[in-house]
Amino acid sequence: MTFLQFAYRNVFRNFRNYAAFFMASFFSVFVFFIYSMLMFHPEIESGFLGEVSIAGMVVAEIILVLFSWFFIFYSMRAFLEARSKEFAILLQLGMDRNQLGKLIIIETMTIGIFSCISGIIFGYAFSKFFFMIVREILNLTALPLYLSWEPFVLTLFVYLSAFIVISTISIMFTPDIKIRNLIRGPKFVDVVATYSKRSAILGIVLILCGYSLALITTKSSIFTYTLLIPIFVTFGTYYFFTDTTLFIIDSLKNRKLFYWKRARMLAIAEQVHILRVNSRMFFIVTLVSTLAFLTVGVLSAMSSYTSQYDKLNPIGLIYKGEMDNPFETAHILSIIDELEDSGISYQMTRFTVVRQTSTYTSNPVEVFRETDINHLLFSYKYPLVSLTSGEAMFIPYSEDSIETLEEKVVETVLKENNINLTIDSVYPKMFFPTAIISSNAIIISDEDFTRLVHDFEMTPVVEPGYHLFTFDIPNWTETDKIGLGIQQMVARDYILNSEYTLPFYFENAGLNYSYILATYSLLTLVGILVVAVFLLASGSFVYFKIYANLDREKKQFDMLIKVGLSDKELKRLITRNLVIQFFLPWGLAFIHSAFAFYVVQTVLNDVMNLSIVKEVVFSFTLFAIIQVVYFYLIRWRYLSHVRG
Amino acid sequence: MPILQIQEATKVYEGKVTKRALNQLSFEVEKGEFIAIMGPSGSGKTTLLNMVSMIDTLTSGEIIFNGMKPQKLNSEELAFFRRRQLGFIFQDFNLLPTLTVEENIILPLTLDEQPIAVMEERLHHLSELLELTSILVKRPNEISGGQAQRTAIARALIHKPMLVLADEPTGNLDSNASREVLELLGKMNQDNNTTILMVTHDPIAASYCDRVIFIKDGEFFNEIYKDDRRQTFFQRILNVLSLLGGHVGDFSSIRLP
Repeated sequence: MTFLQFAYRNVFRNFRNYAAFFMASFFSVFVFFIYSMLMFHPEIESGFLGEVSIAGMVVAEIILVLFSWFFIFYSMRAFLEARSKEFAILLQLGMDRNQLGKLIIIETMTIGIFSCISGIIFGYAFSKFFFMIVREILNLTALPLYLSWEPFVLTLFVYLSAFIVISTISIMFTPDIKIRNLIRGPKFVDVVATYSKRSAILGIVLILCGYSLALITTKSSIFTYTLLIPIFVTFGTYYFFTDTTLFIIDSLKNRKLFYWKRARMLAIAEQVHILRVNSRMFFIVTLVSTLAFLTVGVLSAMSSYTSQYDKLNPIGLIYKGEMDNPFETAHILSIIDELEDSGISYQMTRFTVVRQTSTYTSNPVEVFRETDINHLLFSYKYPLVSLTSGEAMFIPYSEDSIETLEEKVVETVLKENNINLTIDSVYPKMFFPTAIISSNAIIISDEDFTRLVHDFEMTPVVEPGYHLFTFDIPNWTETDKIGLGIQQMVARDYILNSEYTLPFYFENAGLNYSYILATYSLLTLVGILVVAVFLLASGSFVYFKIYANLDREKKQFDMLIKVGLSDKELKRLITRNLVIQFFLPWGLAFIHSAFAFYVVQTVLNDVMNLSIVKEVVFSFTLFAIIQVVYFYLIRWRYLSHVRG
Repeated sequence: MPILQIQEATKVYEGKVTKRALNQLSFEVEKGEFIAIMGPSGSGKTTLLNMVSMIDTLTSGEIIFNGMKPQKLNSEELAFFRRRQLGFIFQDFNLLPTLTVEENIILPLTLDEQPIAVMEERLHHLSELLELTSILVKRPNEISGGQAQRTAIARALIHKPMLVLADEPTGNLDSNASREVLELLGKMNQDNNTTILMVTHDPIAASYCDRVIFIKDGEFFNEIYKDDRRQTFFQRILNVLSLLGGHVGDFSSIRLP
C-alpha cells in the first residue's frame, strides 16, 4: 500500500477511536454553518435592524470560531496523546519525523474534510427548522430557506484553514515521543506533588478578595471593580488549582487517623495525582463554565427587562413640544391620521404643563392640571385624583419614589403667581415613563391652575412650559410604524447636533420595544449558541482528558482488583475521582458566577429597579441538571470500560 | 569485517536512583551469525538491545555497524537506517491493530515508499515461507499468538535488513508456537544468511543459536558456541546459567513442574 493508503486506512478502519475528534469537529462546523446561514440571510441583512445586530452576530461568529479552533486543537492533542504507543511503534519501524507529520496531517485533513462536509450537509438540512424558530422569536413574517454561496464558502474556508493550521501546529508541539518509554511502558508514573505554600494561600486570598469586592460594589464603583474582580478571581482560581488543592490534601494526609482508612488512602493519594496533572484543565474549565453562566445571566437580565418593559413604559406614543412649537398641529394630525389608517385604537390626552418656581426648594417644578391627568388616568382605568384648591400631589418619577414621597408633606408657594400649596400625597402608580417629565412634578386643582398667569421667572432662557400629547394605546406593540417621520427627525437631530435644537420631542414606545425585542432576541440566539459551545467545550475537555488516560487507568484498576479491591469499592473510588474532576471546577465556576450576579443584580436594582433573581436561579438549576446528567453518562461509560 | 561491533559499551542512568546498566561490554557479531544474549532479569539485556537499535544512547563506548557509527546519524538518517537496515521483533508483537496482517507485514516498505510491485513480490515470498497466506486479510485481533509473532517476523524481514533484533520473541508464546518461531528464525538464518541478535532468558530459545553470550549486571560473563546437537548445547547453557549463581531467577519450565 502507499503511504496515503496507509493513512487513509488508519482513519477509516479505526473510526471509533477517531469518533470523539470527529464529533467535536462536526459539531463545530454544524453550528457555525447554521449561524452563517442566518447571518447571510437576505431578510436579516436588509432588515431594519441594520448594522447593530449584524455586528453582534459577527462578534458571536468570531467568538465561536476562536472557540472551536481551540476546542478542535485540544481534542486533537488529546487524541494524539492517546495514540502515542502506535506512533512509537511506527518510529521504531523507521518512520521519520517528516513522515509522522505527514501522517498526522493526512489523517487530520481526512477527518477535517469529512466533518466539514457532513457538518455543512446536516447544517443545511437543519437550517429550515432553525429559521422557523428564529422567525417565531423575532416575530417576522417569513424566513425562507435560501441558497447562496456565502455561508458555504465561509464555513469551508474557516474550517479547512483551521484544520490545516491546527494539524501543523500540533506536529510542532508534539512532545518528543520517547520510544523506549512507550514500548516497554513507563515503570513509574512521575508523581510530582510539589506545590508552593505561598501560592496556595495566595490563591485563596485572591479569590476571597474578588468576592469581597463583589459584595461591596455599587453603581458608582462598578467600573473600577469590573476590571479588578475578574483579574483577582482568575489568578486566584489558577493558584487554587495548582497549589491550594494540593495543600489541602497534604494537610489531610498528615492526619493518619483520617488518611489510613480503607480505600481512603488510595482515593486521596490518587487525588494528588489527578489534581496535579489536571490543574490547568480545571482552571480552563472553571473559566469557561463561569463565562457560560455569566452569558446566561446577561440573557436573563435582558429577558427580565424586556418582559417588564410595558410596566415601565405605559404610554404608547408621546409627543412633547414647546408651547410655540410650529409643527404641533401638523405633527399631531399626522399621528392621528396614521393611527386611524392603521385602525389602532387610541386615547389621546393633551397636557399643558407650566413651569413655576417652588419656594420650598427654590427649584423649578412642573405643574400639571388635575383634569388633564384624570383624562389620562381614566384611559388607564386607574383611580382618579381629586384635589381642592391649595392641595397638590406629587407625580412619581420611579417605583421607588412612590415609597419615598408617600410620607412627605411639603408646604410651598408657586413664586411667580403666589399660589400656596400643600403637597401631601403622591399618586400610588407610575403613569408617565421615567424620562419624560421632570422628577419634580406636581398635580394641582383646576382652580389653582387657572391662576397660573405669570410665566416662569427664567423665561425666555428656559421655556415657561410645554405641551404634552400622550396616546394611550392598548395594543402599543403595533405602533412601531406610527410617526416614523417625526421619529427620524428627532433621531437625526440627536446625532447631528451636540445639543437638542428641535422644539419638539417624540417617543414611540412600540418602536423602542420592537428594537429592544429584536436585539434581545438576537442576543438570545447568540447567547444560547455561545453558552452551548462553552458548555460543550468544558464538558469535552474533561471527557478528552479522561479518555486519553483510560487504558492506563484500566491497568491500574486491574492491578487493584488483584490486590483486593472489591467491586463496590472500585465503583466508589471511580465515582469519587470523577466527582472531583467534574464538580470541582464547575462548583467553583458556580460560586464565581453567583458573586458576579450579585454585582449585576445590585447595579440593576440601582439603575433600573429590576430583579433578575428568578431567572438566574432558574438557569442555574437548568445548568446543574445538565451537568449532573452528563456526569452520570460519563461515569457509566467509564465504569463499563474499566470493568472490561 | 564483523557486521556489528560493541566496544566498551557503558550506560549509566542518572536520576533519583543511579544505575549502571551496562559496564564496558564488548563483543562482535559476524555476518550470518545467530546470537543469543542471555542473562537474568536486570542484567542489561534490554538496555543493550535499545542501544543497538538506537532507541537509546550510550554513556560511553561505541557501537559500529559495518564500519558505520549510527550515533552520528541525525534523526532522519536514523529513521532510514531503521527501516532499511534493521528488523525488530518484539515480545508482545506490537502489530498495528488497524491494519490487516499483510498490511502490517509490508509496513516498513510503505514507510520507505517502495514500489508496489516490490512489496507484493516480497510479501508473496515471505508469506509462503512463514505459512501466513491463509490469514493475510485478517486483523491482529483475529489470529493466534504464534501467527502474530510469525507476522511480526515477516515484518522484520520484508525489507531484507542487515540485522534482525529480537526481544524475547517467545516470551508470550506457548511451547508449540515457540518451537515454530525458533525453527523459523533458524531457517532464515541458515537459508538466507540473515544475522539475528536475540535477547532471551529462555535456554530453549538460546539453544537454537550459533553462539550464546551471557551477561550479568551489565558485564560480559561468558560465551559459548554451539556444537552438533542442540540438546547438548542446551545442557551446556544450563550449566553456565547455574554458574551465574546468586540471584538467578529464571529457570526454564523443563526443570520445574
